[in-house]
Amino acid sequence: MSHHTINLTINGMPQTVTVEGNETLLEVLREKVDQTDVKYGCGTGECGACTVLVEDNKPINSCLTLAATMDGRSITTVAGLAKGHDLHPVQQAFVEDFAVQCGYCTPGMVLKSVALLSENPEPSEEEIRHYLEGNICRCTGYTKIVTAVQNASKNMVQYAGGDAA
Amino acid sequence: MSEFKTVGKSEIRIDVKGKATGRTEYAADLKMKGMLHAYLVRCFDHAHANITKLDMSEAAKEPGVVKVVGPKDVTDKIYNQSVIDVMVPPSQVEPLGDIEDQNIFAVDRVKHYGEAVCAIIATSEAAAEHAAKKVIVEYEPLPVYLNAEQASQEDAVQFDPRKPGNLAFELPEVMFPNKTMGWGDVDAAFAEADVIVEDDLYTSKQKQCQMEPNSYIALYDDEGRLNCWTSTQMPKCVHTKLADIFDLPMSRVKLIQTTVGGGFGARLGMVLEPHICALALAMPGHPIKVQSPREEDWLTSPSRHPGDWKVKLGFKKDGTPVAAQASFASYKGAYYLDGSGVAACAGAWLQAVYNWENLAYQGRTYFTNQPVCGAYRGYGNPQQTFVMESMIDRALAELDLDPVEWRKKWHKNVGDGTWFPGVKYSSVAIDPCLEQGSAAIGWKEKRAKYANQTGTKRRGVGVGMTTHTSGAFPMLLEHTVCSLKLNEDASANLTFACSDIGQGSHTALRQIAAEALDFPTDDISLNTSDGDITGFDIGAHASRTLYVGGGAVIEAVNDAKRQVFERAAKLLEANPEDLELKDKQVFVKGSPSKSVSLKDMLHKSVFNYDATAETGPNFAEGQIEGYSSYNPKHCSPPWAATFIEVEVDMETGEYELIEMVNTHDIGRSINPAIVEGQMEGGAQHGLGMALSEELYFDEDGKVLNNGFTDYKMLGPSDLPKMTNIIVEEPDPFGPYGAKSVGETGLCTPLGAVANAIFNASGVQVTDLPITPEKLLKAIKEKEAAEKAAA
Repeated sequence: MSHHTINLTINGMPQTVTVEGNETLLEVLREKVDQTDVKYGCGTGECGACTVLVEDNKPINSCLTLAATMDGRSITTVAGLAKGHDLHPVQQAFVEDFAVQCGYCTPGMVLKSVALLSENPEPSEEEIRHYLEGNICRCTGYTKIVTAVQNASKNMVQYAGGDAA
Repeated sequence: MSEFKTVGKSEIRIDVKGKATGRTEYAADLKMKGMLHAYLVRCFDHAHANITKLDMSEAAKEPGVVKVVGPKDVTDKIYNQSVIDVMVPPSQVEPLGDIEDQNIFAVDRVKHYGEAVCAIIATSEAAAEHAAKKVIVEYEPLPVYLNAEQASQEDAVQFDPRKPGNLAFELPEVMFPNKTMGWGDVDAAFAEADVIVEDDLYTSKQKQCQMEPNSYIALYDDEGRLNCWTSTQMPKCVHTKLADIFDLPMSRVKLIQTTVGGGFGARLGMVLEPHICALALAMPGHPIKVQSPREEDWLTSPSRHPGDWKVKLGFKKDGTPVAAQASFASYKGAYYLDGSGVAACAGAWLQAVYNWENLAYQGRTYFTNQPVCGAYRGYGNPQQTFVMESMIDRALAELDLDPVEWRKKWHKNVGDGTWFPGVKYSSVAIDPCLEQGSAAIGWKEKRAKYANQTGTKRRGVGVGMTTHTSGAFPMLLEHTVCSLKLNEDASANLTFACSDIGQGSHTALRQIAAEALDFPTDDISLNTSDGDITGFDIGAHASRTLYVGGGAVIEAVNDAKRQVFERAAKLLEANPEDLELKDKQVFVKGSPSKSVSLKDMLHKSVFNYDATAETGPNFAEGQIEGYSSYNPKHCSPPWAATFIEVEVDMETGEYELIEMVNTHDIGRSINPAIVEGQMEGGAQHGLGMALSEELYFDEDGKVLNNGFTDYKMLGPSDLPKMTNIIVEEPDPFGPYGAKSVGETGLCTPLGAVANAIFNASGVQVTDLPITPEKLLKAIKEKEAAEKAAA
């Protein structure tokens, strides 16, 4: 088995990790850098629980990504969004709108929503539902997740607008 | 202005900040010093075979392997992974015929695809998995039975000598004469009926698919205690069973409930707890972890019972329901689990909904070479809702009666019998559900508008309804212990073992405590996961957590208040029963000027500086702790109705869900947003069962779709616009009048979607799931029949 020493920036912190050629980013994040906020849900890229953002906004399934291919990349996990008790607007909306039940899909769902709003700050309901297709939630029926993304969108646009003014 | 301080308010859930930040830890996230990893070796070659050889010696030599563990290295005690037997009164176990029939690892014979045969313990998960490939198992294949008909053949290989004919369960004669549940004489009634509808139907093998895969840690520690970290829904019953399986006193088994990443019944009992504990006992001093792969969840934790239905219904011309006859022959899977439960309960729900003049239900379940079935949200009710609601609407179409009006007229009411013999309905508010739901979807207008469509795309609206339960009393034990410690600063700690499996019950139970104490909710903290500290609780099943747990909380609060009032009465020179607690002041009812501060009292109860050797304790009689050991007095069944509009493409059989209105007779909503969450989440499961969810097998019994790629659940774009209507008419028994909401909302979409498709297309698909292929076939058959008739 080939070993690779790679450099990752995880939630803003540079880290050097030795990985096996067949190790996934999910395994490395969970087992080697203790980033257990990234969840294993299926291992086949179907459920999105393992979603992380690369270079701040591109969502990927970490279970389908070989860690060795990520050398030099910057990765954001859900733990990188909040600053202490100050939640990211998407997290805040998930909390306030009851978009979280068992919580196991939530890290992936939150990151995917952050990615959506960074690509498309004011998505329609249809666009939100379509974008979240790769993330499975078995508790909520998605209704309150969609509401949370809509409210996060409103808050973020308003905040950005307020900043500009 | 609400009469309540917090009841009825959608307070933010206690647990969600940790979940939204990823800081909440699930079992898989826990790491311990010296932790070893286990891999369970499973049979993926056969669904039914004798084991002729098991050789683990080569695997034991692989790098990183610490130990190999086979059937001879673990207890040979036979068990039942379900915990229903803990809840069933002992007097009923024998007549029901409930049995234990499972081993930790298969002994001599595997009975389903994916059965565990042995395990590898290694320094890493990868090493254990790699070594598993070196285990040599040889098999001698046996015939495979995948449904009730195959399993009941005369010459079929027998699963268990105690269950001849592979009949795991049928309604027992001693409890149900002629092995039949019901009343009256259906045969005589059918002879007098004006309209009879009759058909065979099939309901599917649906999987809970909770998002957290099964992961456990166990440690047999240096004090001789067996510790188990598990996300079971039923921590206390599992504790009881583990102590029994491993022959340890309960004090030497510690169960720590980790954050539950969903359950829906899959964790109503044990999944891999016996395995991980057996491995820990084989390797004392080391925490052992197992992370079961997602695809194994379909093979190891119980699914919904699939099976064959026969339904015959009779009516008078005016719609009077004179007779209902139904039988359900379900496919049990390889082991017994709650064999009696679903077969009996499907009938119990069936006879609870409408006032049939005569009714006869027979429930049987047969062993099959399939992964086990057990509890799944609804517990027989989704199955009966689909078949009964479909067949009722078939008859109503023939009778030209309106499905909503018929349901309003013939549903059971207060004073009528519920699902359990001898228990009468305490509250029924299904009429407002049907009325408000009809109005919201535009029932009358749409039924009229869609009556004579001829185009390719045809719309239809349908309704489905049912009732359920709030806890399983009096069929099963429903016991919850709760304690409430009043701190010296007049804050409180609430301790119970009620599970929050994601539904938000901890938040709602804390609101109930806050209401009963008249405290701000933030002044109450919860202690729920440490099995050494929490008292008994049955666990999260049967939609009981809020209803029974809430009753336990109120009783514990009342016990604490009783102690407060007894002490305050001395200071206020009043009778304890005349006192009231409001805003942390104790005062005589009606005279708020005469009061004592709760905080002062409680502070003094701990910091009793006034007491001297001479005086002894004065009024400060120690810290106050309220306690309850609570059993409910009723099961306050909730009701629900769902309305759905669909559009069917008559040329392809494809159909689209346009709109859905869910209504629920909740009694009282403690936290409305949590209630809505249960309705919306239940709808996703119910619609999934109706539209797409089914486990498929090849003829050798190999499971074909145990993965999210091929097991299709409905995603965000598949679901229709949903409206929730919560009807509040307080129930006399529930905490603040609350009834349950956990399961009913899963059931009603099945009837509603089937009836909407029927309304649109004029045909019914009688076997689940209703795929476009099946619907198109039914449409073509009807067209061919009409052509032949013309």
